[in-house]
Amino acid sequence: MQSLDVISVNFWQIVISLANLTILFLILKKFLFKPVKNVLEQRQQTLDSKYDEAERSVVEAESSKKQWEEKLRSAEEEAETIIRTASEDAKNHGNRIVAEARDQAEGIVRQARSTAELERRSAEEDIKREIIDVSAVLTEKILGREINMQDHRTMIDSFIAEIGDDDDGNK
Amino acid sequence: MENKSQRFKLLDTLYLAMMILPIVCGIIIKVLTNPPSEGISITGAKIYFTLKMPIQDLPITESQINSWFVMISITGLCLFLTHGLKEKADTKRQHIAEWIVENSEKLVIGNMGEFFSGFAPFIASILGLSAFSSLLALFGLYAPTSDVNVTAGWAILVFVLITYYKCKCGPLVYAKSFADPVLLAPLNIISEVATPISMAFRHYGNVLSGSVISVLLASGLQGLSAIVFGKLPGFLGEFPFLQIGIPAVLSVYFDVFSGILQAYIFAMLTMLYVAGGFPADEYFRRKALKNN
Repeated sequence: MQSLDVISVNFWQIVISLANLTILFLILKKFLFKPVKNVLEQRQQTLDSKYDEAERSVVEAESSKKQWEEKLRSAEEEAETIIRTASEDAKNHGNRIVAEARDQAEGIVRQARSTAELERRSAEEDIKREIIDVSAVLTEKILGREINMQDHRTMIDSFIAEIGDDDDGNK
Repeated sequence: MENKSQRFKLLDTLYLAMMILPIVCGIIIKVLTNPPSEGISITGAKIYFTLKMPIQDLPITESQINSWFVMISITGLCLFLTHGLKEKADTKRQHIAEWIVENSEKLVIGNMGEFFSGFAPFIASILGLSAFSSLLALFGLYAPTSDVNVTAGWAILVFVLITYYKCKCGPLVYAKSFADPVLLAPLNIISEVATPISMAFRHYGNVLSGSVISVLLASGLQGLSAIVFGKLPGFLGEFPFLQIGIPAVLSVYFDVFSGILQAYIFAMLTMLYVAGGFPADEYFRRKALKNN
């Protein structure tokens, strides 16, 4: 079998070799680089979207945390106001009750006092009448004659009224 | 599901066969067409048949056939690696495929800049074709890179690319790039023409010299072994003991190391020449002007 010389330049062989390299370049580009780069790009996209998601969720969590804190603060304030109003209400209520009780007590005292006054008055009246009666009997007995009861009574009334006035003045 | 995985396995087998069969085929052809011969003969590639073509007849030789085998193998490897790619990488082959792609892009962008990132498959194919062609010698096959026509074809393609990128700003800028110091213009032109020739011959010469040295050393070791152990009786006297092991060590250097190194050098020079010849500042200045 024949063989080439160690150095033998052949135009067509050079062209074939040139074409071989070009074809292998196209093969590598199509069968190795394109699919691998597609996969890498897909992975990058997934990674990006995952990162975006994570960032978004962090932002969301922060905002919700802020919201909750605000809510908590407002709830605390609300509780405070509720307690304050409740205590004020209770104080007012107590004051009112005390005032009412005092009023009532005062009314009772006043009533009692007026009743006592009335009783005193009636007792005075009774005493007056008794005195009149007794004095009438006494004068009847002393004078031995019957006095006109009506005259007698007015006379004694005026007398007692003088006494009562004196009595009141002494008081 | 079962059906799909069955189909997946079938395709896998097919791709693996595509990777391995060409090399097996090459070895078979080599064994069939290469009768065992005595003595050393350093020749070029064997001619299988010759096609009548205009300009020059085209002999189809070992180097053509072997480079096609390498190309088929690389295609099979690509298909195998990218078979069943998933967004979530969980297979070894996907890691390898991603490693290849990412590193070749890193290499290209690091050496040529972001503008040339489309060169990554080209550089990867130079590296792959050159390295695997040289490594064919490990199987006892003729390395296509030790044929000057093969490396010349690649170098001419690289030269076309260099010139194309030099002409990106018009022929005037291209012409001006030679007359940097005006007096040195002839030398610049010579060096420009010398670029592809030097690239082709560097690669070819290194690989060929490696195989030549290997052949010389193997036959030398045979002679040495005949001198040293020739006194031994019968079969033992004829057996070339020194040929065991020592050529393998040399093969590690000349076939594996040198082959991969030359592939790397060729790819590196390609990147440097293309990126270096490209008048980047002028190009981006004009682009900016056009945009405004």
